[in-house]
Amino acid sequence: MANLKDIRKRIGTIESIRQVTRAMKLVAAAKLRRAQSNMEQARPYAGRINGVLKHLLPDIDRNTHQLLTMRPAKKKAFVVFTSDRGLCGSFNTNILKQARTIIDAVGKDQAQLICIGRKGYEFFNKRGYDVVEHYADFWNELNFSHAVKMAEAVTSRYLAGEYDDVRVIYNQFKNVAQQKIAEFHYLPLVLEEDDEVITQDYLFEPSKDEVVTALIPRHLNIQMWRFLLESNASEQAARMTSMEAATENAGDLIDRLRLEYNKARQAAITTEILEVVSGAEALVE
Amino acid sequence: MAAQFQLEIITPTQVFDEGAVDYLRAPGVDGAFGVLAGHTAAIMALAVGEIKVVKGSAETTYAATQGFAEITENGVQLLVESAEHKADIDLKRAQDAYDRAMDHLSHKHDEAVDEARAEIALKRAINRLKVAGK
Repeated sequence: MANLKDIRKRIGTIESIRQVTRAMKLVAAAKLRRAQSNMEQARPYAGRINGVLKHLLPDIDRNTHQLLTMRPAKKKAFVVFTSDRGLCGSFNTNILKQARTIIDAVGKDQAQLICIGRKGYEFFNKRGYDVVEHYADFWNELNFSHAVKMAEAVTSRYLAGEYDDVRVIYNQFKNVAQQKIAEFHYLPLVLEEDDEVITQDYLFEPSKDEVVTALIPRHLNIQMWRFLLESNASEQAARMTSMEAATENAGDLIDRLRLEYNKARQAAITTEILEVVSGAEALVE
Repeated sequence: MAAQFQLEIITPTQVFDEGAVDYLRAPGVDGAFGVLAGHTAAIMALAVGEIKVVKGSAETTYAATQGFAEITENGVQLLVESAEHKADIDLKRAQDAYDRAMDHLSHKHDEAVDEARAEIALKRAINRLKVAGK
């Protein structure tokens, strides 16, 4: 049986770890709320831009806009969203595993990577993938200008012909308990068809073509912003869930150790009494 | 009372609901245009510039960046990447951005992309300073 002092020490250690995990859970919950409200706020803007583009695209000759032109996809680029920090369950592991499978299917030499978040950069860089761009240390002060910067960087490389096709791999935020890894076709721009009929007849100023030209970068920016927000919300949700589990496990462990501690204490007392009694009896004789 | 229309300024991070307004002046790509109630349905590309809203005798200005205006019979929605109320503009930040962009442009860089970016940054900074200075 372990000695009393050791058990007491272990209980102390686990208690302080439990404090840390509990604090992390609370912080993640607060950040998650902020991320969710950001997502809420971005929705009307994203929805309108999407709506207008959908309305316009069928009338536009794809070949007149470089960002719409389908070119033979010889070189592909992948934008992978991960977090900067760990302790968020299998959040990063899952997405990296899946991203790797997707990228390896294309061929390691045909793929260029843009890693958003430190974990992804470390993972792919170490394994010799061609990481052309990476971003880290911004998640805490995430704002729209980050999205603009990333979208512009990805787009300008595309326009320079460094790659012909861009896919985004990110964690989609379903709800607090559920994040789904999703793949999105970022460039050239494709919009899912839906049956939303816009009957409104618009006047376009200066012209339809120019409105589209102005709209496409706006659309790419807001999409990038959406990926950032969803990935951020997913990360915080994953962290919250895993830290909650960790806190609970620490509690279980403490309960078990307490039981063991009490048993050891009892045993020690019993032994001592036995010694005293037998000692006294020896004197009487 | 003159006819009014509903105006909303929508950005990725915020929605300014102006409610019923009398007049709007927005910076179109080919120059500023005005909107009154009963305007024909239109979609107009917007440049970096100043948005002016008149409500009765009150007047509000915003410094806005690129986007577009959607005008329907129900009202006007301005979708811009950022809009700042005149009173909220951080003058020092705008001045810093202005200096940075100027500095960037005066030292020749070989990358055309960088230059284009700096030019847009400069436009935004000038616009902010202009709106705030009024």
